[in-house]
Amino acid sequence: MLFVFKTAYEQDFGLFKHAIQRNCYLVLLVLLVVAPFVLERFYIGELSELFIWCIAGTGLMLLVGYTGLVSLGHAAFMALGAYTNVILNKYGVPFPISIILAAFFSGACGLVIGVAALRMTGIYLAVATLAFAYIVEKFIGQGGSFTGGHRGFRVENFEYFGVYLNDPVVFYIICLITLLVTLWLLGNLLRSPTGRAFVAIRDSEISAQAMGIDLVRYKTLSFALSAGITGMAGALYAYKIGYLYPETFTIFTSIKLLMLVVVGGLGSMHGIVFGAMFISLLPQIIALVRDLLPIWISQRRGLEPFVFGSILIAFLIFEPKGIYGRWVKIRLFFSQFPMYRKSTFKRQKSFLRTERVH
Amino acid sequence: MTLLVADSISISFGGVKAVNQVSFAVKQGELFSIMGPNGAGKTTVLNLISRFYDVDEGNLTFEGEDITQVKTHQVATKGIARTFQNTELFEHETVLSNLLIAHQQHKNTGLFSEMFFLPKVKRQELSFRRRAEDIIDLLDLQGYRDQMISSLPFGIRKVTELARALSLEPKLLLLDEPSSGLNPEETEDLSFWIEDIKEELGITIIMVEHDMNLLSQVSDRVLVMADGSELTTGTPEEATSHPDVIKAYLGD
Ligand SMILES: Nc1ncnc2c1ncn2[C@@H]1O[C@H](COP(=O)(O)OP(=O)(O)OP(=O)(O)O)[C@@H](O)[C@H]1O
Ligand SMILES: [Mg+2]
Repeated sequence: MLFVFKTAYEQDFGLFKHAIQRNCYLVLLVLLVVAPFVLERFYIGELSELFIWCIAGTGLMLLVGYTGLVSLGHAAFMALGAYTNVILNKYGVPFPISIILAAFFSGACGLVIGVAALRMTGIYLAVATLAFAYIVEKFIGQGGSFTGGHRGFRVENFEYFGVYLNDPVVFYIICLITLLVTLWLLGNLLRSPTGRAFVAIRDSEISAQAMGIDLVRYKTLSFALSAGITGMAGALYAYKIGYLYPETFTIFTSIKLLMLVVVGGLGSMHGIVFGAMFISLLPQIIALVRDLLPIWISQRRGLEPFVFGSILIAFLIFEPKGIYGRWVKIRLFFSQFPMYRKSTFKRQKSFLRTERVH
Repeated sequence: MTLLVADSISISFGGVKAVNQVSFAVKQGELFSIMGPNGAGKTTVLNLISRFYDVDEGNLTFEGEDITQVKTHQVATKGIARTFQNTELFEHETVLSNLLIAHQQHKNTGLFSEMFFLPKVKRQELSFRRRAEDIIDLLDLQGYRDQMISSLPFGIRKVTELARALSLEPKLLLLDEPSSGLNPEETEDLSFWIEDIKEELGITIIMVEHDMNLLSQVSDRVLVMADGSELTTGTPEEATSHPDVIKAYLGD
């Protein structure tokens, strides 16, 4: 077993729990930096896409996993980010600046939606965000030459000093850096007062208010930040796929994102990565399994969304802490072997908590 | 000096008058208790003071300022902290973070400095932590600092909630049945802590309580309620020997 001795308060708010953990991440980082120079093109592209899903997932995790608000329309923010980015490019704004502006624009949209929608909670909020996503999709479709309408448009490529943005290695490095910065910013926020306020709202709105936390203000803030981060992922995604049209980001994308945070593990930064790996690999697994199934199932059009939806529900019921939660249990099992008690993770009876403000 | 004045406050839910024209004034440094049979409206009075409910009629004044209309989250900033009858903690957090959430109402960092965890954010975290540790020491929570609330026994949760309320550094502390669910030893500890909070920290307390021993041991004055109305107010002896009170408890 590993015991961490604490000698200074600073240790409790470091980004890493202890030196061993930090070193593991350093090794991982070195591997990720070396990867594009040894892997084949195809895998470099797949990894870049994984990083983009991680960034989008970070945005939604902040909202769902850390603030306890559900959005069924986060694809809309990806779309807003992607389109803003590409349209800015068309009007001559160069690549790194356009991405930042795209993030700010979807953040601003998130703020406006947040102010309107956050008076609602739970299912009402989920439905409102769903409606919003639908409106954005239609709006883009009707946008004429400005948004490329239903036919969409090509995404411009950039060249700086002889290197092209769509070069797999260059794009990989851009995605990796964006992801690391995003995770670092979120990690910082979570160990600061604002992050704690989000978590407080997630756990008990009543108590949060009694602690002087302004619910409307912090929920709106969380929504705006979440929309901004997801928008940034959308902007990168535009370069990845090279062509945009309204159906690039649909309700299915929103569900995939929701699945990422739920399956990965709500309220965990590791969960973002696990979840992103899961949603990236699942379509490939489905494709493999599809060949083994009888024709009348495998040729059905809705197979993929159906599998996604079923897994989402299964996780909500059987493994609410997600893949990361399962990993924590496995790790504890080995570190305490043979003293592991199954009841360690049993939910304690939540003592007579009532809906009323008792 | 009076700290809090409730001037004939009332509230009804549907047809039920949960609190009916109740008036009282709590002096600075006083421990003012509220007792009464189940459903008398005691918790509702605390909910009115902490602005979870809006008063239908009447006024609340805190430090000479009318707080009848302030927003719920501003109550803490004004210096009023509370605990809940069945505890209402941040379940998926540790004891320490529960306290830090309370301490941070005095924060002076903005979103951007926090995102980059600038030195001033770090300094602020250290000062919150030191203050949280003072309260952990005061209430003997050292062993539970890093434990998740969801894994704690009820008694410790109650103490944690008291610690969290103290972390707001309030002038007025509202306690809703602090001893319910505690065993006799824990209740004994609680009575010492309550006296410490009152005498050493100089915090004024309004306490809803059923335990007669605790009540008469620590209270300066007691308000007795039944069916939403005031029966009597006085010293613990006066209140408990009042004929209406005896009648209310024994039933007619
Ligand atoms: N939010 C609410 N909605 C409807 N009725 C309520 C609400 N809050 C309180 N009441 C009613 O008001 C009355 C007083 O309730 P309150 O909780 O204040 O009693 P109490 O004195 O705290 O009782 P106990 O000793 O059981 O805690 C009860 O009849 C209760 O049903
Ligand atoms: Mg009560």
